[in-house]
Amino acid sequence: MWSFRQGSLSARFGRPFVKLVLAATVAFLSLPVVMTFVSSFAAEWVGPLPSGFLTFANWNDVIAGTGVGADVSVGSSLLYSAGLAVGGVLINICVGVPIAYAVARYQFWGRSWVNVFAILPLAPGIILGIAFLRTYPDLSTSGIALVIGYSLLKSPYMVMAVQSSFQSMELQQIEESARSLGASWPRTFLTVIIPNAKEGIIAGSIICWTLAAAEFNFSYIVYSRGTPPLSIFLYNNITNASFLNAAAAVSVFFLLIALVTIALQIVGNQAAVRRL
Amino acid sequence: MAADIDSSKAGVLRRLPDTFSTLLWPQSERQRERRRIVGLCLPFLVLLLFSGIVPLMEMFRISFSEARLVTEGFTLQYYEQLFADPYYRTIAINTLWFGLATTVVSICVAVPVVHALAKYDLPGESIILTILSFPNSLPGIVAAFMIIVLFGNTGLITNVIAAFSGRSAVDLAISTSVVGLFFAYLYSMIPRAVLLLRGTYSEINTDAEEAARSLGATPFWTFRYVTLPQIKPGLIGAFVLVFRTALAIFGTILILKSLLVWTLQIDREIAQGFNIAQASAMATVWFGFVFLFTLFALRYTSAEVSI
Repeated sequence: MWSFRQGSLSARFGRPFVKLVLAATVAFLSLPVVMTFVSSFAAEWVGPLPSGFLTFANWNDVIAGTGVGADVSVGSSLLYSAGLAVGGVLINICVGVPIAYAVARYQFWGRSWVNVFAILPLAPGIILGIAFLRTYPDLSTSGIALVIGYSLLKSPYMVMAVQSSFQSMELQQIEESARSLGASWPRTFLTVIIPNAKEGIIAGSIICWTLAAAEFNFSYIVYSRGTPPLSIFLYNNITNASFLNAAAAVSVFFLLIALVTIALQIVGNQAAVRRL
Repeated sequence: MAADIDSSKAGVLRRLPDTFSTLLWPQSERQRERRRIVGLCLPFLVLLLFSGIVPLMEMFRISFSEARLVTEGFTLQYYEQLFADPYYRTIAINTLWFGLATTVVSICVAVPVVHALAKYDLPGESIILTILSFPNSLPGIVAAFMIIVLFGNTGLITNVIAAFSGRSAVDLAISTSVVGLFFAYLYSMIPRAVLLLRGTYSEINTDAEEAARSLGATPFWTFRYVTLPQIKPGLIGAFVLVFRTALAIFGTILILKSLLVWTLQIDREIAQGFNIAQASAMATVWFGFVFLFTLFALRYTSAEVSI
C-alpha cells in the first residue's frame, strides 16, 4: 500500500518537480547575465530595476578608461590577454596534438597514466601561481610566465578536443595507407593525420584561447606590473569602479564569450561547444 | 623458469644503454614505433616538467626554507604551525565542509537537470544547453559579480523581496554572507556537474528503464533501482572532480570574502608581508591532499572519470 502511494506521488509530481528544478537552475544562471548586460546601459540602479536608459556612459568609461578605479582602458588589456592566450594556444597545439595521437593510436606501457596526466589538470591556478612566484621571478614581469602557465593549465582541453576528433578516425588504416603509398612516417603525421583532425584542433584552440584569456587565479598571483591581463582588469573594475561601470566591463567579457561560442558553432564542433 | 626471470631482470639494467641507443637509432619496426611514441609524448612531458614539476618542487623546497628571500636550511616550523595553530585548523575545517556541502548540493541539482535534458522533450533545448554551459567559461570573479547582481544591496532578488516584505534592501542583502557565497560556489559548480553528468547519462541503457516501467515500476522506483545503479560510477567521478573544483575556488572568495578558506589564506600570506614559506607550505598541503584524494577515489571506488 505504501509503495503504491509513493509511486503515484512520483508519477503525478515527479516530472513537474524535475522540470521546476531545471527552470530554477536556468533562471539562476541566466538572470544575472541578462541583468548585467541590460544594466550596463542604464544611468542608475537604485530600485528593483535599473533605470535611465539608454546611456553609453558606462561603456564609454570602460572603453576609454577613467583614470580612477578602472584606470586603464579595456582595449589594451584585451589585446594583451589575447596575445598571451595566443602564445598559450600555440604551445598547446605543439604539445597537445602529438600526445593525443600517441594515446589514441598506440598501445604502450603507461598509456593510461599518460592519459590521466594529459586530461586532468595537475594543479589549479592559485597553487601553480604560488609555485611560479619564486621559480621564475624574472619571467613574470615579461608575461612569459603567464604564457607558460596558461598553456599547462589549459592543455587538458586541447588534448580532449583533439582526442574526440581522433576517436572518430580509423587511425591505423589511414596511417598504413599513407605509409604503403610511400610517405614517410613524419610526412604521414604532418600531411595526413593532422589535416584530418583539423576540426578538433580548431575547436580545442578556441576553447583554450578563451579559458586562457579569462584565467584569473593564476594571473592574480603571478602578475606584478605593466598592462594588466583582461581578468585583472575585470577584477579592478569589480572591486574599485562603480557598479554600473563594472557591469559594462563584465559585459565586454560576455560579448567575447558569445563571439567565441558562435565561432565554435560555425566550426561545427557541438561537443566542444558543450564542453566550453 | 625462475632463473629465467632473474636473468631477464638483470638484463634490463645491462640493456639500458642499448635501449637508449635503439631509441635514437632504431633497427626494427617495433623499435621505430617506440621512438615515435616517445617523440609524440616528449613535448608534453617537457611542458609538464618545466611549468609543472619544477615549480612545484621549488614550492616544496621553499616550504622548508629557514631564510626568507632565498631557499636555505631546513625547518618544519611552517608545517608545525599549520597543524598546531587552531587558526589554520578552523580554516581547514571551513574549506572542507563548505566544499563538501556545495559539491553535494550541485550534484543533487545537476542530476534532475541532466535527467530532464536526456529524457524529456523540452522546447528550446539548445538554448537551455547554451545557458547551462555558459558559466563554465566564466572566471570566479565574474561568478561573484553575478551573485552581487542577484543578492547584493541593489540586487534583483533582494529588491523584489524588499518590495514585497517592506523591509530595507540593505538588511536583506545576502551576497556578502556565507549564504551568498554558497550560491556563488553553486554558480560555478552546477554547470560543471551538468557537463560531467551529461556524458554519463548518454551511456544509459534505456531499454532496461522502459522494461521496468512497463512491468509496473513507478518513475521514482525506476530511477532508484534501474537508472541510479547505472549512473553511480559517473556520479562518484563527478563528485570527485566537482569537489576538486570547489577546493580550488579562489577568485569568487576574493571578491565576496565571507568565509576564510584555504586558498584565500594562501593569498593573505603573500599579500600581508610576503610570507612565501607559509604560503608554500599551505599550497603543498593543498596539493598533497587533493592528489591523494583523487588517487584514492579513482583507485578504491568505482568512479569513472570521463570528461
